[in-house]
Amino acid sequence: MVQVNKTFKERLIDFTFYCRERQFVLGPQETRDAFEIAERGYLLDRKLFQYSLKAIFCKRKEHFDRFDEMFDRFWSRYYEDKLEQRKTALKQPKKDPDTATVIFLGAQFQIPRPPEQKQEAKQTVGANESIRLRMTDFSKVEVTDRERLEELAEELFHQMSMRFKRRLENANKGAIDIRRTVRHGIDKGGLLLDLAHKKKRKEKRKVVFILDVSGSMDTYSYYLLRYVLVLKKYFKSLEFFTFSTQLTHVTPLLRANNEQRILKQIGKEVHSWSSGTKIGESLTEFLSVYGSKFLSQKHIVVILSDGLETGSVVQLREAVRTIRRRCKTLVWLNPLKGMKGYRPIQKGIVNVMPHLDAFESAHNLDSLLKLEKVLMDV
Amino acid sequence: MNKEIDALIKDFYGHDYILSEELATSVFLLKNLEKPLLLEGNPGVGKTVLAKTLAAHLHTHLIRLQCYEGLDVNTTIYEWNYQKQLLHIKLFEQERDKQALGNKIFGMDYVLKRPLLQSISAEKPVVLLIDEIDRADEEFEAYLLELLSDFQISIPELGTIRAVSKPMVVLTSNRTRELSDALRRRCLYHWVDFPSKAKEIDIIAKKLPDIDEQLASQVVTFIHNLRKSSLHKPPGIAESLDWAKTLLLMNAAHITDELVHNTIGSVLKHKDDIEFVRNKKVQEFLVPIP
Repeated sequence: MVQVNKTFKERLIDFTFYCRERQFVLGPQETRDAFEIAERGYLLDRKLFQYSLKAIFCKRKEHFDRFDEMFDRFWSRYYEDKLEQRKTALKQPKKDPDTATVIFLGAQFQIPRPPEQKQEAKQTVGANESIRLRMTDFSKVEVTDRERLEELAEELFHQMSMRFKRRLENANKGAIDIRRTVRHGIDKGGLLLDLAHKKKRKEKRKVVFILDVSGSMDTYSYYLLRYVLVLKKYFKSLEFFTFSTQLTHVTPLLRANNEQRILKQIGKEVHSWSSGTKIGESLTEFLSVYGSKFLSQKHIVVILSDGLETGSVVQLREAVRTIRRRCKTLVWLNPLKGMKGYRPIQKGIVNVMPHLDAFESAHNLDSLLKLEKVLMDV
Repeated sequence: MNKEIDALIKDFYGHDYILSEELATSVFLLKNLEKPLLLEGNPGVGKTVLAKTLAAHLHTHLIRLQCYEGLDVNTTIYEWNYQKQLLHIKLFEQERDKQALGNKIFGMDYVLKRPLLQSISAEKPVVLLIDEIDRADEEFEAYLLELLSDFQISIPELGTIRAVSKPMVVLTSNRTRELSDALRRRCLYHWVDFPSKAKEIDIIAKKLPDIDEQLASQVVTFIHNLRKSSLHKPPGIAESLDWAKTLLLMNAAHITDELVHNTIGSVLKHKDDIEFVRNKKVQEFLVPIP
């Protein structure tokens, strides 16, 4: 056993807070385990200490991927300097350069790295902070808030995914299955002690997402896409299209398991971003090319667009009317709806409104989470 | 690194399993902190083999529980031996002390031990592999919580049965569904990723000592480039080994279009993926990996 001094223990607790702040689910047990490995002397070997903490603190792949970088950022100074020197070093923290994580449709979604001292001082995310970020319009998020928003989105989408699953799963027990009950009774001397129940069929929904990726919609599409990627396994079939001046079928790109790789690839493959919006033309193309395959009375169609049509409004109205007729439910998400004083008076929107089952905003995390209800209730 | 971890890596190597330092640390903690280890990763990256190798390394038994939907207490923990109970009742029908008779037939002698109970009843610690936990229902995860945190199982009629020796528990998951936070909290965690090119060549060379170094390198380059493509099911290490074995059987010196066309079935298991590869030139998949 190694005597671990108080300063180190405090530092280790600081690190636990630091991880917790980044959505790691850590309780007293993990802190206790961390102390134990430190006392066993693993802290003397940086790699061993890092890998041990990684095994204890990480609970899912997303944590696993981020841990090394976090560990380096937090502990490098400890291993470089002596503990006594660390205090003075903290007063003059090095400034890390910003690095981009995902380039999506030409827009860089950077994870900014605020100075370490600031992060250490701010040990917990206040509830107000989270609520503020949830309510902030995606396009108005400050650069300094991006990292927090990313983490918050990841956590909230994960929670929603669990909720979604539970709601989708009907109670396993259906009606009593007489045949299986009798069969189970055979090894109990014919006594019907355990009742067997039939399983209810789990029904998954089919959804088609059509996203506007014209310049002003980049940011909203990015978050909606992330939202959909979390949900993709709960739908029987999920089709994904993007459009601005031309329609692109991006479902084949969703096959990869890595979310970041998917986002990067879509960014690379879709060339029509930031080009103006021809909603009517794109929807007509969707109808003629993919309509027979992806539209039925079992499909939910979700369109994300601000509705600012630069093409023919008549064509748009006809396309939306036809889609509505051929699908189960049509939902239109308009980020502008989240703006104060917004009224749906644009020509495009006025023409499509009568054919919609739901008209929702999707401008911040809160409204995206509310979309869960729309997708479940239909 | 720690001497014990180095020894662990060496011993696993002797059992044909190449451990990275990071994974070795997780296995080391599994042994020392006595906490279950949850391994997640794509199919075919060596999660199950790790548990088997651990059992061989510790010279102990491996008790394996293959999970599937509908798994319940009776098939995983215990079941009453109803025939034996009925027989006992028949034999002692005339017994006056019915209370004693009742107590007798609900004793340990009348319990059929299933894998989880077996693992905590063993005299010497065993390796308990709970394979593909993501295939089981959420209810089953709840059954496991008591075992994973306290190494004990509660049977209503018998009370709590504590572990005679604590098993080394390894859980694997292919991530086809999210596991509950309660289960994750009780485990150490490791994401088993596809290996680096050098490590995969080592694995192939270790398993197939007769293979030509250049062919092994080509196989790994090809497989790594395949993994970068958008496939339904990217090939794992198991598929690399299968393919290398196939090529070795065919006395191939290097990979050609014809060979790929004829043998790609041992690497890819999806029609669209196979067509995708057959429609491309082999050179496209032999681009050196940075």
